[in-house]
Amino acid sequence: MKHLVTLLVLAMLFVLPVVVLMLIGLAPGWRFPHVWPDEFSPQAIAYLVRNHERILTSLSSSLLFSMLTVLATLPMCLIPAAVFARVDFPGKALVEGLLLTPALVPPMTFAMGLHYVFIKLSLTETMLGVVIMLAMFSYPYMFRALVAGFQSMGEDYRMCARNLGAGPLAIMLKVELPLLIPAVIAGGSVVFLVAFSEYFLVFLIGGGSVDSFTGTLFPLLSSSNRSLAAVLTLIFLFLPIALFVIMDTTLLRLYRKMQMI
Amino acid sequence: MSSTSSLILKLSPLALPYLALFCGGVFLTVCQSFGLLTPLPYPGGMVDAYLELLTDSSFFASFVFSLGVAAVSAASAVTIGTLLAYRIWKLPGRLATVALVYKIPLVLPHIAVAFVVLVFWSQSGILASAAHQLGLIRSMTEFPNVLYSGWGIGMILAYTLKGTPFAMLLVMAMLVRFDARQIQTADMLGASGLRIFFSVVLPRLAPAMHTGFIILFLYSFGAFDIPYILSESRPGMLSIQVYNLYFKHDLARRPEAMAILTIMFGFAVLFIVAYSKVVRRLEDGVRKL
Repeated sequence: MKHLVTLLVLAMLFVLPVVVLMLIGLAPGWRFPHVWPDEFSPQAIAYLVRNHERILTSLSSSLLFSMLTVLATLPMCLIPAAVFARVDFPGKALVEGLLLTPALVPPMTFAMGLHYVFIKLSLTETMLGVVIMLAMFSYPYMFRALVAGFQSMGEDYRMCARNLGAGPLAIMLKVELPLLIPAVIAGGSVVFLVAFSEYFLVFLIGGGSVDSFTGTLFPLLSSSNRSLAAVLTLIFLFLPIALFVIMDTTLLRLYRKMQMI
Repeated sequence: MSSTSSLILKLSPLALPYLALFCGGVFLTVCQSFGLLTPLPYPGGMVDAYLELLTDSSFFASFVFSLGVAAVSAASAVTIGTLLAYRIWKLPGRLATVALVYKIPLVLPHIAVAFVVLVFWSQSGILASAAHQLGLIRSMTEFPNVLYSGWGIGMILAYTLKGTPFAMLLVMAMLVRFDARQIQTADMLGASGLRIFFSVVLPRLAPAMHTGFIILFLYSFGAFDIPYILSESRPGMLSIQVYNLYFKHDLARRPEAMAILTIMFGFAVLFIVAYSKVVRRLEDGVRKL
């Protein structure tokens, strides 16, 4: 009985919104005071199909800069994370705290200062500029995950590989990185989601030139075409979930193949 | 190579972008707030922008309003999140898998969560329809004007919905390492369910709750996406004020926008330092008992 209450609260808070979005997507004419739509129509889906090029462009652009952000944060954080997991040095806690601040303070505070410099360097309206800006405030999630990954991995594998004659590069690429994959995925997923769902920074740095899915969705949210907004929101929900599921199953298969589990 | 320089070299992939982009960005924001390095030469004095803000009562109103929205939403997200995480932790295995639906708002972008709040709470929304169906109201104007009450309730709802799963995630990570035998022991010694939650479980979860509160509070304090969709006219969130000064006025007001950002940055840093100090002192007190 108590469990039922828990599940009911979870359903009301987190599942009901998705169900309602689906209904709105399927029933553009659903209005007050009806609690259930009178009639369903595939209008929004049809619009989606008609405009699939524009939507696919913005979607792939969003996917691209989010992936690139993940790829940029990994080399930024890898070696520093190893240092933080293994080496003690004076002022370590302070440095760690400082390195985590970009995720805590409002990103506007440094992004708008940089905006003018980015204009001067012609980095605005480019994919590169957007990725730099996104990486700059999302890297702490990758950093934290990697530090935790290095800590739980311990030093034994590295010692063993070194005793067997592996150089630092070989240790990093062939021993540590494969073992760190779960940590990379944990951190990378958060970085991906942060980048993928960001609206303001992409708008500030990307201007009109770097398409983004949030940028496509934004004007629709306050427009009268709620149905289309709902459908796009659902894509926003299911696409990352699908990506995560695909990644998980591929990895599982890979690990089985490598006989790591 | 000495160990210090090797350390610096190893930290440089992170330290260099941090110094150049993050510190540099903040530095430029501060400079521009003083009218230096602005795109056009600023005719006013160094502290004109700050004087302008300090004599402007709407700035104070916005500041207090942003604080209020951030504090209420972060506190409710952490409270609800902790309770739900604890309840999920107690679920039997099969049901716990079903409970993974809590991650849905984590994946949704902020603007989509704002849209959900709009769909549910507007006067022609789902809840108004439901109230009408139940006979509680006769027309949509009788439904409380939640989104435009002047109290930022719409934004609070959106931030709470988005923040709750985040708090749950942090708390669940703590609960995984929590030894259930402590609860059994307390139970055997005759503690009530409430007593167990408050005296045994909660102190263990406190670090995750504090982290969650800091992150959620500062995010809601300075973020732009949700207020842009759900904000009411006055008082507005600070981020909206910055946006308007930056994009909708001429370059002469740029230092004012930057001054607000500088104050927001200073406040965020002060808040992190002060909050962690207070928490550490409280925990020291607990340990002495």
